[in-house]
Amino acid sequence: MPPNHLLRLTALRRLNSTSLRLSQRSYATTPFPEQDIYDVVIVGGGPAGLSLASALRSSSVTNKLKVALIEGQDLGPQKPYKPKPGTFSNRVSSLTPGSVRFLENIGAWKHIQEERVQDYHGMKVWDGVSNAKIIFSSDLLPTAPTIAYMCENLNLVSSLLSRLDELGSTEILDKARVEGIEYGQDDGELDLTSWPVVTVSSGRKLAARLLVGADGANSPVRTFAGIETRGWDYGRHGVVATLRIEDVEQRKQAYQRFLPTGPVALLPLPGDFATMVWSTTPQYAAKLKSLSPTDFAAMANAAFRLSHVDLKYILENMTSGLAEEVSWRESATPRDPALTPTHIVDVQAGSVASFPLKMRHADSYISERIALIGDAAHSVHPLAGQGLNQGIGDVQSLVRTLEHAVQHGQDVGSLLSLEPYYSEQYLKNHMLMGVVDKLHMLYGTTSPPVVAVRSLGLSAVNALDGLKSFIMGRAAGR
Amino acid sequence: MPPRPLSPRLFRIPLPNTPRCIRHRSSSSLDPSEVQHFNQLASEWWDPHGSSRLLHLMNPLRLRFIESCLRSSPVTEPPDSPASTPEIARSRTNRRFLDVGCGGGILAESLARLPTTESVLAIDPTPGVLDIAKAHMRTDPALKRKLQYRASTIEDVLEEEMFDVVTTMEVVEHVTSPFPFLQSCLTHVRPGGWLIGSTIARHPVSYITTKLIAEDVMRIVPRGTHDWNKYVNAGELEGFFAGEREVVECRVLGCVYVPGFGWREVRGSERVGNYFFGVRKR
Repeated sequence: MPPNHLLRLTALRRLNSTSLRLSQRSYATTPFPEQDIYDVVIVGGGPAGLSLASALRSSSVTNKLKVALIEGQDLGPQKPYKPKPGTFSNRVSSLTPGSVRFLENIGAWKHIQEERVQDYHGMKVWDGVSNAKIIFSSDLLPTAPTIAYMCENLNLVSSLLSRLDELGSTEILDKARVEGIEYGQDDGELDLTSWPVVTVSSGRKLAARLLVGADGANSPVRTFAGIETRGWDYGRHGVVATLRIEDVEQRKQAYQRFLPTGPVALLPLPGDFATMVWSTTPQYAAKLKSLSPTDFAAMANAAFRLSHVDLKYILENMTSGLAEEVSWRESATPRDPALTPTHIVDVQAGSVASFPLKMRHADSYISERIALIGDAAHSVHPLAGQGLNQGIGDVQSLVRTLEHAVQHGQDVGSLLSLEPYYSEQYLKNHMLMGVVDKLHMLYGTTSPPVVAVRSLGLSAVNALDGLKSFIMGRAAGR
Repeated sequence: MPPRPLSPRLFRIPLPNTPRCIRHRSSSSLDPSEVQHFNQLASEWWDPHGSSRLLHLMNPLRLRFIESCLRSSPVTEPPDSPASTPEIARSRTNRRFLDVGCGGGILAESLARLPTTESVLAIDPTPGVLDIAKAHMRTDPALKRKLQYRASTIEDVLEEEMFDVVTTMEVVEHVTSPFPFLQSCLTHVRPGGWLIGSTIARHPVSYITTKLIAEDVMRIVPRGTHDWNKYVNAGELEGFFAGEREVVECRVLGCVYVPGFGWREVRGSERVGNYFFGVRKR
């Protein structure tokens, strides 16, 4: 359905609920306290919500807006990010140069612990069945030597919190669960029947001219707005781990191999650290998580080296001695040395975890006095490393939209003010998610004709530097 | 002259912000059936997908045009004004507006939200329409201190009430005698202030676009909203203002609605369709 129709449907739904409310309306006896009326209330203190708060406070156009941010967790300990030396969190995101530029512009990047961020300059992607490959090297791009930056989520969150501290006057309510959202009342003087009122666990109520759901995949704000999401579960889990590698490359690169069970990626972190995302079946994921550190490291090496048939055999049949098994099979498996990453030697204790992979897209990102950003609006397969970047893209677009509304005297919560955000981001995200989703399906098969065609496609793209530069430019957020 | 399309009187729904009932005091009797139509329309006034969608979409352009006029003003404040030094005047942030024919308050609300606005007085003679405006105003606590509605025609505004800017959007083409009406508006503009409005040119193109396409084919404007014969050409306005001694400048800017893209300013299009006019007083 074209976005316009979706918008209309949402508007109709809203109108219906409005008329319902009107008929039941009764005047509230006490006026709503003025100090609890906000222009923007953001639910969710993750990277998307915090970026939005920082961006609104940093813009000379929107910095007069009264903003509150609600987060269930305690943000205090996250403010100075002090990880144990020699460790890296397993929750790492790939930030495109476009996203980093935005974080610089809103004054957050200067607070990042840059020694914990790793940029990379090349990307090797290959087909685990046919070995057809595509090598992206940033040498192809004259202006941007970096494809992306690997950054721990905690590092980013901490830098955004520091930025908000520096800017002041954003009210952050942490350790505050959202207990409920309902529409306000009409006290005869002020009519808040179209304003969402959020009740937090302390019992305090905040009325929002615009309520922003940055509250993740199970967004309560989205539920309140009655916006449906569509999509499917991949029946796959993403296994993540922080790893130590043998040889450190001069110019760091990312490696991604498409296996029939899902892609496995090795992404560089500072020094001899790396992070891995292996999307695989829930059974294999459970098996991987149960392995000893030695066997896990062996399987991580195997994922980039052994045939998918070997991997299947080991994961389904062996309970111990996996390291030895991998070692001899590796010596017997021919491989392209240009593609294979250096050996993984160790796995950081407690860093192996897994999460189910989903594809979800909300029917709309907006409704009267509601906007959704980040995972509340869309969840994407991690294979392209675009999840957080999409969220930052949402923030950029929403801030532009709100700036326009403020400059033209519009109510920043009105559907009319929010429309540009929806029309700008929906299609963009939809296309990206579609491509990522098709990639997942395309590589989820071992059927010879499909493998032949997809390999031909990959090799053809690999031969065309112009096209590769274009794809890299897109991936880098240009 | 092109034939008038079939539009049975009964089904005429006036467009919001088009107080066709604005009359001079001598002929200010309101047509009850039109009042009824306004009331029918009222529930849709602030529906972004209702019949006033085109006006909602046009509103940012109105503000841009107003801003461009005010920015271009040479800094000439009345000598007794506290803002008589150029530095203060240039950053003048206490503008007073009068919006004539405010309808549901689309323009009036947005003017009142601007930080540079001190106050907005918005008038419209149709009580049912003002009820909608006032009810909608109550949904935004930011408006209370700045915006005031009054059921009134321009002739009822007290002579001594003066404003930095008098606005009248999509009104001129609906009043019986546009030039006396504009003259009345002008008397409430302080010296050096602006009268700013928008209307439609009387041209075969505007007949096709505003009557045939907008009302009859695409139906994005309620049928019977416009009477093509009442449209006023930019040249006619300029001619009129050229004859007014207290007017020092008159500018016009055409704008075009492109379905799927929205409103766009198009120089020269004031000859054939919708346009803004800005008139500065001596």
